[in-house]
Amino acid sequence: MSTLWQEAVIEAFRETTVRIAHLLPKLLALFTFLALGLAAGWLMKVLLLRLLKAFRFDALCERFGLGSSLAKTGMHQSPSHLIGRLSFWLVFLLFAFMGIDALDLTATTNMMSSIIDFLPHTIAAVVLLLFGVLLANFMAEAALIATVNAQIEEARIIASFIRWGVLLFTAAMVLTQLGIAKEIVVAAFSIMFGGVMLALAIGIGLGGQSIAKDFLEQRLRRKKFERDEMSHI
Amino acid sequence: MTTTKTLFGEVREQIGDRGKIEVLIGIPTFNNAKTVEPVLRAVKDGVNKVCPEASVLVVNADAGSQDGTQAAIKQAVGPDTPTAFVQHLAGDFFPGPISLQALSESGVPGREHAFRTFFTIAEELEVKACVVIDGNFRSLSSDWVEVLLRPVVEKAVDYVAPLFRRARYEGSLTNCIIYPLNRALYGKQMRYQSGGGYGFSGKLASLYLTKNVWEGEAARYGIDSWLTTVAVAEGCEVSQGFLGTKIHDTTLTGIELSILLAQAVGALFHLMEAYQEVWEGRTGSSPVPQFGPPYEPGPEGGAVNVERMVRGFQQGLRDLLPIWEIILAPETLAGILALGLLEAEEFRFPEALWVQTIFDFALAYHEKALHREHLLKSLTPLYLGQTASLVLGTREGSPEDVERAIETLCRKFESMKPFLTQRWRFP
Repeated sequence: MSTLWQEAVIEAFRETTVRIAHLLPKLLALFTFLALGLAAGWLMKVLLLRLLKAFRFDALCERFGLGSSLAKTGMHQSPSHLIGRLSFWLVFLLFAFMGIDALDLTATTNMMSSIIDFLPHTIAAVVLLLFGVLLANFMAEAALIATVNAQIEEARIIASFIRWGVLLFTAAMVLTQLGIAKEIVVAAFSIMFGGVMLALAIGIGLGGQSIAKDFLEQRLRRKKFERDEMSHI
Repeated sequence: MTTTKTLFGEVREQIGDRGKIEVLIGIPTFNNAKTVEPVLRAVKDGVNKVCPEASVLVVNADAGSQDGTQAAIKQAVGPDTPTAFVQHLAGDFFPGPISLQALSESGVPGREHAFRTFFTIAEELEVKACVVIDGNFRSLSSDWVEVLLRPVVEKAVDYVAPLFRRARYEGSLTNCIIYPLNRALYGKQMRYQSGGGYGFSGKLASLYLTKNVWEGEAARYGIDSWLTTVAVAEGCEVSQGFLGTKIHDTTLTGIELSILLAQAVGALFHLMEAYQEVWEGRTGSSPVPQFGPPYEPGPEGGAVNVERMVRGFQQGLRDLLPIWEIILAPETLAGILALGLLEAEEFRFPEALWVQTIFDFALAYHEKALHREHLLKSLTPLYLGQTASLVLGTREGSPEDVERAIETLCRKFESMKPFLTQRWRFP
């Protein structure tokens, strides 16, 4: 009895020791990866910030209205700082996943390869999002200036319509790129876009005939009677 | 754009070896068959008055006319005078609706290509003088050519800019922005009226070709906007020729005011960057020699809808405020906001505030605070406000009162220039 008890204890102790001996290097690898991730992330952030500063990225974003868009969403950091922080976390997470993969846990097996497979889609989605926001701001600003110069009263509504149209289109593209509910997104976008157009057509065709007529008459008459005869240059 | 050698070879083929050519007459055309014949007759008479013995070459740079302009030119010039025809635009040219490089106010597309053609040929032939006259004039007489050519041939002047008798408030963009700002910057009292006819020395034609204005960003602005500025900034012998009334056919109409403004003011701001070293050091202004009859203000013009202008300004104030907040200094914006409270009849844009506004736009352009085309076009409502203010302030007075108001504005630009210089260098 005593021998059996001794053997059981020793066996358990040996197994635990072996397991710990196996786990310790993996834990060490995890911490090494985390430390490396912190260092590499910080380095990436600093390098990217310097590069963006050299190319006057913030001024460029300001020109395309990205700075003000970020401010509207409550982010008061400059776009370059935002990208810097994003790059830090991206690099850090990459190393962290490597560390977790090194633990060789059943739950995390193949996690790394899945993440690496998904990475191009994520990067493409981020680029699409950035481009979409820039395009939306640029087009809305251009439309606003053009309509104000043409003295169209509804200038801001037209500009907002263009901004949200482009943003909506961008959101649909980003979600499709990420593979999130692909079919639902495409269907929802088509229904929404088609619905808006149909609503406008029915609205103007049935309910707003007289308003449209008045509006066009007002515009054309104003052009006819209010046009300056002077040459500006 | 045809390369220099090909272009010159093309011209040589057409005219043969004519020996030394002294005067080049450049005629840019686009569907001007109806007007080009009398224009050329007047030009020939004018050249005969100034230098009857000189050998003359007529160069027609056409933008793709379909109405027999070339045949009309051949008929008007006759076989005695060598004439070269250059087609400077391909048939697929289309000025996009967004591009600033749309159409010049003369209605001739791609004018810069035509001018580049004239200057290239002038340089190759080493001509003494070059006169460029649009083919769409109805009011041209042989006196015009005399006014544009004689100073170059006899008085060694490099550049003769046109000066027209215009109806009251005509050329408001020139009077409210281009003339006062250029005068304050470069110190010459040139009226900066553009289009129509110019006189150049051979030396200046060659100088233009060396300038970085034909390609890239500068090429997006109309050539009429920068010809005078470059001549003044380069320190050439400049002068003005009073040509009387300008009546011309516009083959392309409906150029939007904001595009016109962006072209003209954009060229000005662009050259401010190129000639920073020149204008920073100049103070005050001096008159330039004037040829032809003495300048006189024009008569009453057509209807000016002031209410519409004020409405345009007020809408800008309501809708473009977020954009103006990026461009204008807080104190300038505060001054402009106060104008929104005024009734149409009481509307006045204070001179100092207008000068400050233009300086702020120039600085924002320099600092690239906003997409440049948007920045320039967003100036339109403010310009309408300034024009309305000028009209309201002088419409009860005489044409001389308008001239006085413009002169006062110019002096204000000059007196406030140190502010611009300081902020340009130390933003």
